[in-house]
Amino acid sequence: MKVNVDKTLVASIALHVLVIGWGLLTFSSKAFIAPEESLPIDIISTDQLAQITNGQKTGKKEEPKPKVEKIAEAKPEEDAVGKVTEKKELIKTNSTPDTPPKPVEKPVEKKPDPPKPVAETKPKDEPKPQEKKPDPAKEDPIAELQKKLDTKKPPPKPVEQKVAAVQPQQQPKPKERSFDPAQIQRDLDKRAATRHELAGSALNASASLGSTSGTAANNVATWQGAFQGAVKRCFTPTYNGQDANLYEADIDIPMRVDGSLASEPVIVAVRGPSRSIAQAVAESAKRAIVQCQVYSFLPKQQYDSWKLIPMTFGLKDML
Amino acid sequence: MNRRRFMTLTGSTLALLGGGQAFAQQPQQQGRLRIDPTEFRPIPIAITGFVPGSPADGDVSNGVTQVITNNLKRSGLFAPIDQAAFIERISNIDVAPQFQNWKTLNAQALVTGRMTRQPDGRLKAEFRLWDVVTGQQLAGQQYFTSPEYWRRIAHIISDQIYEQMTGEKGYFDSRVVFVDESGPKERRVKRLAMMDQDGANVRYLTRGADLVLTPRFSPNSQEITYMEFGQGDPKVYLFNIETGQREIVGNFPGMTFAPRFSPDGQRVIMSLQQGGNSNLFVMDLRSRSTTRLTDTPAIDTSPSYSPDGTRICFESDRGGRSQIYVMAAGGGQAQRISFSKDDNNATYSTPVWSPRGDYIAFTRQGGGQFSIGVMKPDGSGERLLTSGYHNEGPTFSPNGRVLMFFRDPGGNGGPSLFSVDISGRNELKVPTPGFASDPAWSPLLSATAGQ
Repeated sequence: MKVNVDKTLVASIALHVLVIGWGLLTFSSKAFIAPEESLPIDIISTDQLAQITNGQKTGKKEEPKPKVEKIAEAKPEEDAVGKVTEKKELIKTNSTPDTPPKPVEKPVEKKPDPPKPVAETKPKDEPKPQEKKPDPAKEDPIAELQKKLDTKKPPPKPVEQKVAAVQPQQQPKPKERSFDPAQIQRDLDKRAATRHELAGSALNASASLGSTSGTAANNVATWQGAFQGAVKRCFTPTYNGQDANLYEADIDIPMRVDGSLASEPVIVAVRGPSRSIAQAVAESAKRAIVQCQVYSFLPKQQYDSWKLIPMTFGLKDML
Repeated sequence: MNRRRFMTLTGSTLALLGGGQAFAQQPQQQGRLRIDPTEFRPIPIAITGFVPGSPADGDVSNGVTQVITNNLKRSGLFAPIDQAAFIERISNIDVAPQFQNWKTLNAQALVTGRMTRQPDGRLKAEFRLWDVVTGQQLAGQQYFTSPEYWRRIAHIISDQIYEQMTGEKGYFDSRVVFVDESGPKERRVKRLAMMDQDGANVRYLTRGADLVLTPRFSPNSQEITYMEFGQGDPKVYLFNIETGQREIVGNFPGMTFAPRFSPDGQRVIMSLQQGGNSNLFVMDLRSRSTTRLTDTPAIDTSPSYSPDGTRICFESDRGGRSQIYVMAAGGGQAQRISFSKDDNNATYSTPVWSPRGDYIAFTRQGGGQFSIGVMKPDGSGERLLTSGYHNEGPTFSPNGRVLMFFRDPGGNGGPSLFSVDISGRNELKVPTPGFASDPAWSPLLSATAGQ
């Protein structure tokens, strides 16, 4: 069987295929830029941010693990010691003009002994000094170091101290600094920020839960501020006339540990020239407290401090 | 029909829940967290369509819903939620709503209601106010009235909601008397007119043959006193709203003007022109006896009583410029209370005492502008609420929370009525049929029903 094929049709199809193909090629030749991966975010208030970043004072006294970004051998201290001499020039060029560069070299050359035991004995607790930002070079740390050395401090002693001080690091700053040339180098070499990236045996993407000096979740002012802000969002008093500043309502709020209300807020007292207006202010405040729950951001470990929250609602800023 | 008889307000309370806390003047306890909001936000409220008792009640049900919504919205204290956003449809107001549906809309309060024509022809209005957050009923009442007064029912329900949520009396069930102005500027016809506070139900009380000025309500809202330019000198008149009858107040040889009732309604205080001066006089409406209150070679005018009737405030140029003075209601030493801090040439006029007693409102002229403001009766706490080319003649709402005044933009236009909260917020134009000036707010009608 023979099929009659219209040549014009074939030509038309061929042309269409060509045009469409050309179009596809042209459009697809444009590099496709993959969209950036979206990141989950939480919107938090400044108070909550403060709470998070302040850390926890009464948190576990575990040694905070440094943020590790690379898997590698942990040998920062040895390198640091070794670099001290190599980076003399860097110290000179990068140190602030206030501090004379010359004294830097002298103690390092004069007292080569102390650094060695330091480097050998403290590979574990080394992360701390690296994280600390160097104090401004207003005072000459080397000069201080010299003074301390001049005052009969024998080299071995610091070694013992540091061994003992491996676990905590409450007040080791001056002692470490006085015998740690690597630290001196880091203090003076401000260019070295990127060099302090740590390597470890396992990746640890998150930083520690906060420093031991943080005010932590037991910072009462922090959760109080967050709570005030949360309730304030729902508080819509309607009076802004004369003597608004005289209207107040004291309300006690019984709370559950999950941040919800244990029972209805209790109006303890109302004050103001008009009883009905004062009562309306109190009722408005009660509605706000109930409406804005659950206050799940309240720190559970501090539940005793917010088991019953006594609050005063006022209108002094309404006019 | 006598207004006292027109409505049977069966204030049968279905339930009134909530609160019950004793008012206590206790000192604030130590160690309490404080919250002092700095910004004002209206209360989100859901006003559901009133359910018609029968299909014939559909229009009146919609009308009541709209009036309540409009009242609360215009007060500036409430933010009615758009009905299009409602999740739940209320078909039976005797069943508790599903509060979660209203919490989703962030409503703090919910209004439900029903309008039903009774077999005797009267209209039955029921409403409930719910606290969405706690799920409690805050108010529930029913009223019976003649069908033509459905707007008043809506105003009364609005007042109930307002009072329940704010602790203050409402002001919606009230009227405004004003001077209606029509015609070209050079031949302006001025008529006495009266309307509901929201601009509805306008009634003209005079025909406009003679010029009228400064109308003021009596405390029971049954009479109006005003000044009219007749054949001779301008005189102060009394006008009975029910009967339409009018009479001249007193028989003084000169011009009398700027009248106002005393809080008990037994006296009218006014100015009497004598030569180039004018002084304040008060006339007892029963005995028709008059008493001179001031005797100065100056212009004393625009007197207004304090709510307790013991003092009056008025304007006087005895010090060289028009300022506001306060003195005892029986006369005596007057104390100047208006002192401009930033403009020594500023003048103050048209003082009016708040029904609540806490403020005196005034017109201030200075710096090429007319402003409406308030100050405390001792002159402290002066606050200008609005300023412009020409603002004048403030009058307080029955609860002292809102001021109405008139504004003339100049040019070939004419004046209009505006309202503003005493904090200076929520300035709104009051709808009138034409140009309007000299507004005077009545007391709350439901509060004066027994007077």
